[in-house]
Amino acid sequence: MSLETEVEALRKVPLFHGIDETKLRLLAFISDRTEYPAGERLCSQGEEGDCAFIILSGSADVLVETPEGEKKVAEASENSIVGEIAILCDVPRTASLVAANNMDVLTVSKDDFLKLLKEFPDISLEVMRTLALRLERTTRDLAAARRGATGS
Amino acid sequence: MEKSLFRFIWKYSARQQIFILMVTVLSYPVVYFLLELPKLIVNDAVQGDNFPKNILGFDFDQIPYLVLLCFTFLGLVVVSNGLKFYLNVYKGRLGERMLRRLRFELFQRVLRFRLPHFRKVSSGEIIPMITSEVEDVGGYIGEAFALPAYQGGMLLVQLGFIFMQDPLLGLAAVASYPIQGYVIPLLQKKVIILSRKRVKNVRLIADKVGESITGVAEIHANDAAAYHSADISDRLYENFKIRYEIFNRKFLIKFLNNFMNQLTPFFFYLIGGYLVIEGNLSIGALLAVIAAYKDLAGPWKLLLSFYQMTADVSVKYQTVVENFDPKDIYDTDRLTSDDTVELEGDVKFDRVSFSGGAAGQEVMDISLTVPSGTACAIVGPDGSGRSEVLQLAAGLVSASSGKVSIGTHDLDKLTDATLGRQIAYVGGAVHVWTGTIRDNLYYGLRHRPLVPPERDSEAQKLYKRRVNEANQTMNPVYDLAADWDDLEAAGVDNETQLDEKALELLEAVKLDKDIYRLGLQSRFDPSMNDAFAEKILSVRKNLAERIANEPALGGLVELWDRDLFNASASLADNLFFAVPSDPEITMDQVPDLEEVRSFLSETGFDKKLQEIGLKIAETMLELFSNVSGDSGLLGSYSFINQDELPEFERIVRVARSGQQRPGLSDADRSRLTGLAFKLVPARHRLGVMTDELRDEVIAARKRFLDGVVKNSDNFVAFDPDVYLPPLTIEDNLIFGRARVDRRDARRRIDDVIRAIVEETGLRRPIIYAGFGYHVGVSGSRLSAGQRRRIALVRGLLKNAKITILDDIATGMTEDDKALRNGLRDILSGKTFLFGTFNADIAAEFDQQFVLDQGRISEKG
Repeated sequence: MSLETEVEALRKVPLFHGIDETKLRLLAFISDRTEYPAGERLCSQGEEGDCAFIILSGSADVLVETPEGEKKVAEASENSIVGEIAILCDVPRTASLVAANNMDVLTVSKDDFLKLLKEFPDISLEVMRTLALRLERTTRDLAAARRGATGS
Repeated sequence: MEKSLFRFIWKYSARQQIFILMVTVLSYPVVYFLLELPKLIVNDAVQGDNFPKNILGFDFDQIPYLVLLCFTFLGLVVVSNGLKFYLNVYKGRLGERMLRRLRFELFQRVLRFRLPHFRKVSSGEIIPMITSEVEDVGGYIGEAFALPAYQGGMLLVQLGFIFMQDPLLGLAAVASYPIQGYVIPLLQKKVIILSRKRVKNVRLIADKVGESITGVAEIHANDAAAYHSADISDRLYENFKIRYEIFNRKFLIKFLNNFMNQLTPFFFYLIGGYLVIEGNLSIGALLAVIAAYKDLAGPWKLLLSFYQMTADVSVKYQTVVENFDPKDIYDTDRLTSDDTVELEGDVKFDRVSFSGGAAGQEVMDISLTVPSGTACAIVGPDGSGRSEVLQLAAGLVSASSGKVSIGTHDLDKLTDATLGRQIAYVGGAVHVWTGTIRDNLYYGLRHRPLVPPERDSEAQKLYKRRVNEANQTMNPVYDLAADWDDLEAAGVDNETQLDEKALELLEAVKLDKDIYRLGLQSRFDPSMNDAFAEKILSVRKNLAERIANEPALGGLVELWDRDLFNASASLADNLFFAVPSDPEITMDQVPDLEEVRSFLSETGFDKKLQEIGLKIAETMLELFSNVSGDSGLLGSYSFINQDELPEFERIVRVARSGQQRPGLSDADRSRLTGLAFKLVPARHRLGVMTDELRDEVIAARKRFLDGVVKNSDNFVAFDPDVYLPPLTIEDNLIFGRARVDRRDARRRIDDVIRAIVEETGLRRPIIYAGFGYHVGVSGSRLSAGQRRRIALVRGLLKNAKITILDDIATGMTEDDKALRNGLRDILSGKTFLFGTFNADIAAEFDQQFVLDQGRISEKG
């Protein structure tokens, strides 16, 4: 696969929707292309996060530690970005990622991603928009959950 | 040391100077005769009569007489020039020898300075003194006596001639000399003062430049570049002013001299003319005098410039030498004597005082005894006198009053040979020498050459000459090529045991892991140690098997395979399937190698690679042209750095314009090829590597291996059964590339290698290979901690009766604690002084002395 195919994949990631192609090419170029065979860990809960993963193909299980051991709480699928929270604010990984099948992943290191944001403010804006949307949705969900809780 | 240059010259070269003088005097008649002959030929042989002439009983007709005179002339030309040549070489050699003697003497004096003296002098000042400032002395020494004697003689002869013609005219000829002799030295004196000022100023500049280099990080960290620039610029202006003054004076002297010289003919014409008119002098005599006076100017000019040079060189000599004569300099004997005494017994301070010349560097009235064979802590913060006490105990500095002794020996009366061999001192500020780790570890054992190297007769002859020269110049005759490692002192029988002992100590100070890592990264010459190379090859096989059998491991490495493309390796590695034998050759230089160039053009790969390089350059320009240079993105990811960007922009523009002119130069093409060579397909997914191209690369690879590598020593092919000297030991072990598209592949494969290496007992030889690691200038390629540990091992390897450590391993961490315990074990039964600022650490020792403001405040 070459940069072009990676750019195609990146275009499908909602976070990078509004960003023009040359910048996506740059992002693809500065990220590392890595393969993960099924079962290999991408990252572990609690460790320091130094990169985000953009899944080009395959999918990963999102695992969280519980008193009964690790439990799958979600699945990260193709064309999604995971682990971006850890590189935007310094928090430890909130969950573990384990390859569910053979994966093809673009790994963006924290430093490079931040440099890119600094270099191209429109990417920052896009990231901000996406995060704000997520926040808005979370707030709404929370409010709904609270209403549900008081209602019952 | 001789305070005046002439005393120095006379003392060490009187015989040679007299010889030069004799030869010079001998050449007088030759020169004189040479000047006379042409007159004889013209007057006597060509225009003369009374032939045949009788010479030595032979009769000569006119023609044979002419031939005889002409051949005599030719012979004299040969003799006089031969003499000149011989003399010049002789003088040059004498000058160089004297210079060598002087320089060595100066260096040895530096070694004889007491340590506190180095607070007053800096290397920036000393270095130019020994190197450049005395340079002129060498050229001068050969002329010191011969030139004034020869030219002075010439002058006297000519003057005598003039006086013989007419005493009055003679007086006229020398009339200006008293004035010149009075005025010129007066002016010269000022020049001398200025020269001294200049020399000192230049020294200061050298010192400041040196200091700026040492403290360059500090300059940038504090944005002090402007200040330093102003400082240097100021000094340079000072230099300019002084030199300008000197020029003015020098040319004034020249002007006066010329003026005076041309004033004399004025008197000749006036007085001589008057005499001729009055009939007291013949016109012929006047003309002869005027001609003789012209010949006077040459020697006079030379004498004058000699006088100026003498003044100049003398002042240089004095300004240098006065810096090397401190009152308290050690005897030469202390440095050169090879006599040692056994230092047995207690370390004893008897009412010792010492001052380093500043507050916090003094100790007062200290009395203490450390019994032989015990471990003792000297406790005190920096500035308490702790370091001074330890240096006193090591004999590095001398007490200003009181006595430091070990057993019955006063340390101040001992030589370096005793102190430096029987006491191991490692202070807080360690120095690691430029060289290999091995050089540094065994540095403490290299006191004298022990085993002379074997030399064939040719080398023996060269060596004899070296020794002879050294003897002529009072330089030491120590043989640098000999084996200096004192195995006996280290308590071992051979080099292997010494290596083992060093390793043991490295393990004790926990430096073995670091050296192991350096060893993996180092190269070694398999011809030196076949068995080691064999072992590495067997580990390589072992590793290959594991990689083949364990899928988890297999995914981490791509091994070299003659028939497969290695996506984690560069295009160059893939194409050549070989590496340049000289590891210094970089990827940028490879396209310019002769065999590569011809191979590429034969296979047509040059065009392809340039096309790939062009594509890469284009992509880089497209990706990074909008990125600002300071973002750091460009440097870490692009093939091209910020400075090269405009250059490649031009190359791409020219290449894409499609015009034949100006077209790409050969250098441009090489750059593009170099760019293509660096492409690692798995990392740089630029889409230039098609399957077709892969196949072509593999096909071309075979041609390169068969056509070029087989016939050339410049490349070594990747061969699973051969050790590849240009690659690091680690790369030889892996024999492939860690995959760049697997996370942490490098680290994970390193772990596997380490495990296999441990299993096969290869760790030791790899560490020994690490001993050959070059530590950079003053150990700059090691961390501060590594440097200290190397210095510590160096001290321990000396196996000295008394070991003194200051501010080493004084941390409270478990590691340091274990290290201290290890040190006490290693040094048990020997006297061990340990300097620390921490009372808790001191409590670990049998005995302790607490220092406070230079006095002992309590005894533990």
